[in-house]
Amino acid sequence: MENNQNLTSKENWELKKQSKIKEKEQRKIKKILKRIALWVSVVIGISAAIFVVIKSVDNYLPGQLANNSISDLDWVKGNKDANIILIEYSDFQCSACVHYFPLIKQLVQEFGNEIGFVYRHFPLKQAHHSAELAAWSAEAAGKQDKFWEMHDMIFENQNDWSSRNAEKIFIEYAKFLNLDIEKFKKDINSKEIKNKVENDFQSGIKAGINSTPTFFLNGEKIKNPRNYDEFKNIINQTIIKNS
Amino acid sequence: MTNSKISSIKPLLKIPKLLIFAFLIASFIGFFDATYITAKQYLGTPFNCFINGCEDVIASQYATIGNIPTALLGVIYYLIIFIFVVAYLDTKKRFFINFIAKFVVVGLIASIWFLFVQFFIIKALCLYCLISAGVSIILFILGILVIKSKNISS
Repeated sequence: MENNQNLTSKENWELKKQSKIKEKEQRKIKKILKRIALWVSVVIGISAAIFVVIKSVDNYLPGQLANNSISDLDWVKGNKDANIILIEYSDFQCSACVHYFPLIKQLVQEFGNEIGFVYRHFPLKQAHHSAELAAWSAEAAGKQDKFWEMHDMIFENQNDWSSRNAEKIFIEYAKFLNLDIEKFKKDINSKEIKNKVENDFQSGIKAGINSTPTFFLNGEKIKNPRNYDEFKNIINQTIIKNS
Repeated sequence: MTNSKISSIKPLLKIPKLLIFAFLIASFIGFFDATYITAKQYLGTPFNCFINGCEDVIASQYATIGNIPTALLGVIYYLIIFIFVVAYLDTKKRFFINFIAKFVVVGLIASIWFLFVQFFIIKALCLYCLISAGVSIILFILGILVIKSKNISS
């Protein structure tokens, strides 16, 4: 009898011990699970943040074009707050771009405040060895508030500088425009201007551009019009659509 | 447990949880902000800047070191802080929080430099860079509070 009682208490003790071990193990597992949950939520949180950022940035370009919003650094002719925004991705050394240069000028003149025309650089460096330098030169002139003047001179004289020492010729243009030459030379080589042109180029890549000129009218990529009247019609249709 | 052991653990309990969570939230905001700037820089899309100047600042020579955007360094900086705070929450090892309390000085120095560049060199302000500077200053203050709480408890 006494032996039985002893056995029972021993068993009880053993049971208690086992339940204590079990509890300890459960606590340990709980702690491990808690740690896993903590780190998994950290990974999820960081991934979600990166995803949200990339998604918003990635969607920005078409959205930005569709919303007609123009960046601070964009060169805009006409009315930058107009309902009609025409964006051109262009290369100063491409012959098709020269073809559209007078058409755009005429359009801006004719539509006046009804449209905003944005010029963005898309120099095709491999095909046109001086295209990037031309873009930098226009930007450097822009630093002295003569972007459009330099833009026009570069397009008007494309044949002159395409086959010769372009840099020397651009400096001549700068002199003609009464720019501070030292500043102009310094700006051409500045990282700021190179970044600006590169940023334009990259935004073009993001927008799926592979040729110049490429036009976006209120965010929609349009097929290059064959002549002035066709261009005018497309814009008029968009004006009607928006009114 | 010896007395020396007790005194080495005691300070752990003295760092207010609120301070730790403030660290966590601030570093996450900084990480989010720096990631946004980096993504914009890499993808070359224009900024949604509510004050004029984001593009001027980001296109400037001060926005990169070599080919690395400084914003990317910001991403790494905030991520280190965030991970170390979580590591502290996980292990309760004082090392992590002590490290952060000193590490935030790096962010403060960088922020002072970038504020100087924006105000006096480029003369343009970038909203997202200002947010980052604000977060760095907050983190620095939190770092001081951590060191202070450590001194009080010890």
